[in-house]
Amino acid sequence: MKITKQARRDAKQLFRSCLVNGLLDENRVRQVVQQVIAQKPRGYLAILSHFQRLVRLDVARRTAGIESAIQLPENLRTGVQTNLARRYGPGLNVSFAQNPDLIGGLRVQVGSDVYDGSIRARLAALAEGF
Amino acid sequence: MSNLLQEIEAQIAGVKTSVTKQNVGAVREIGDGVAKIEGLTDAMLNEMLDFGNGVTGLALNLEETEVGAIILGDYTSVKEGQEVRTTGRLLQVPVGKGLLGRVVNTLGQPVDGKGPVKNETSYPVEKIAPGIIRRKSVSQPVQTGIMAIDAMIPIGRGQRELIIGDRSTGKTTIGIDTIISNARLNKAAEAAGDKEYRPLYSIYVGVGQKQSNIARVINVLEEAGAMPYTIVVVASASDSATNQYLAPFAGCAMGEWFMDNGMDALIIFDDLSKHAVAYRQVSLVLKRPSGREAYPGDVFYLHSRLLERSARLNEKYGNGSLTALPIIETQLGDVSAYIPTNVISITDGQIYLETDLFYQGVRPAISVGLSVSRVGSAAQIKAMKQVAGRIKLDLAQFRELAAFAQFGSDLDAATQAKIERGKRIVEVFKQPQYNPISVEAQAAILWTAQNGYFDDVAVEKIKDCQNKLTEYLTTRKSALMAKLAKEKALSDALTAELKAAVTEFKQTYK
Repeated sequence: MKITKQARRDAKQLFRSCLVNGLLDENRVRQVVQQVIAQKPRGYLAILSHFQRLVRLDVARRTAGIESAIQLPENLRTGVQTNLARRYGPGLNVSFAQNPDLIGGLRVQVGSDVYDGSIRARLAALAEGF
Repeated sequence: MSNLLQEIEAQIAGVKTSVTKQNVGAVREIGDGVAKIEGLTDAMLNEMLDFGNGVTGLALNLEETEVGAIILGDYTSVKEGQEVRTTGRLLQVPVGKGLLGRVVNTLGQPVDGKGPVKNETSYPVEKIAPGIIRRKSVSQPVQTGIMAIDAMIPIGRGQRELIIGDRSTGKTTIGIDTIISNARLNKAAEAAGDKEYRPLYSIYVGVGQKQSNIARVINVLEEAGAMPYTIVVVASASDSATNQYLAPFAGCAMGEWFMDNGMDALIIFDDLSKHAVAYRQVSLVLKRPSGREAYPGDVFYLHSRLLERSARLNEKYGNGSLTALPIIETQLGDVSAYIPTNVISITDGQIYLETDLFYQGVRPAISVGLSVSRVGSAAQIKAMKQVAGRIKLDLAQFRELAAFAQFGSDLDAATQAKIERGKRIVEVFKQPQYNPISVEAQAAILWTAQNGYFDDVAVEKIKDCQNKLTEYLTTRKSALMAKLAKEKALSDALTAELKAAVTEFKQTYK
């Protein structure tokens, strides 16, 4: 779908209106989507499509994915969460996942920042070094 | 064996690092060598991006939600959704004397099958040009070995002189001749052990050329023995537009290394019209707004920032120089088109080649009226200034009078003499390709022509007479030529000697 400049601008404006203290307010997002669908302004599908993209990118920016080879003990989980909150501020959605491919260690991704301390990454670096 | 173990240990220690932060993104769209990447929030402009599997890219567009990057190398292996990482490095190419005699691609990788390039340093492809504090005005000549250029449109070290003309008018030949001429001078100075002579290294950048043409150029350079002083950077027509866009900048970085290290270098961009076309393609695929003739708005800046990097540095900064000879191909002689006018206004003069002259047999087909060198006369040697001072005027007058003479009207003796002299000067300036003439021989021949010694020779025999005179002077009067080369000026004593030599030659010439 072709998203015009005007649609982008409108979507951006709607997105800004959903921010409360710099954080995205879920209720406002839902309201905006309902209102746009109800009012059907010109090019509303393109606006919504771009709006969805902006929300998706913001959610990704505010989501921390923590991967580990084995299930992490509770104290380690809270330690990682506190450290991430200190670095990235409040409002971070943290999700834990298991990935045996990592062999060992942790891989943390927050938005486009990746902290890879897994054994797989170190082996890959070693292979590259040779 | 113990060495091997230590080596492995050292390598392991090198990669044993703590957790590092990386910035990643995902390919959202890929096509025509250009990728749109989501994420990469920390990407810098012109930063190299790692696509994995040895494929690298260059971040050119930093947008609100995505990064537009050009892919260097094979983009067909890049898939949608693939992870991309920033590297924190700008695009760099190998530089140094190890590249001399080699043919490399845009990334400085050898394509001549002669093994890896021996280099110790790398330079960023994009670099800010030297500022005014580091510069000095042009004062040393670049001997092209082409008499018409050295006499009338002299080029100095650090100058930017545009070579412009239609297709197949001898633009590349002028560049190749200059490389060959300087390679010969370098070789002669090396053989004579001349410590004062500053060798001029050459870089030939082929952009969007046919592979066969580039192969021919390399062949000519090899046959003339010029390759040991030359680097050839190739981004042929079959290379991606991104490689063609970056090739002149890569060549320029290689030339800058010589300049920064107190040496002199010459770079030939063959040609910038195709470079502009490649940049237009990259820009359009990156969805940058287009302007006149669909070129992007910064096409002027593209060439100005490239050509500004040629400079003559002052003694405090090493006294090096980088001379640029950009080439522009015009369509049907239209110099007022977009890209030609841009480059004309950037450079310090232009050598305009005319199709008509070329087919009349005047080769090199330099149009004296439209060609100019804005700073080169300061770099001309005194002997050349003495003999070539009036030649441009004489030729211009000849062209005007020759137009009248076509009507067959009766002409007075003075006009007739001017036309006859003009015809001989035109003949003297004709020169076969890849055959540069030394500056002392040029000065002697021009002195002979200026002083009317060719006036009694039939026009069709001028070339023969000139060749025999050159041979006579270089073989029988080598001491005189050596003195002229050393003094670089025609003193009264030298003039008298030259006069005696030419008179002696004329007595024997039939």
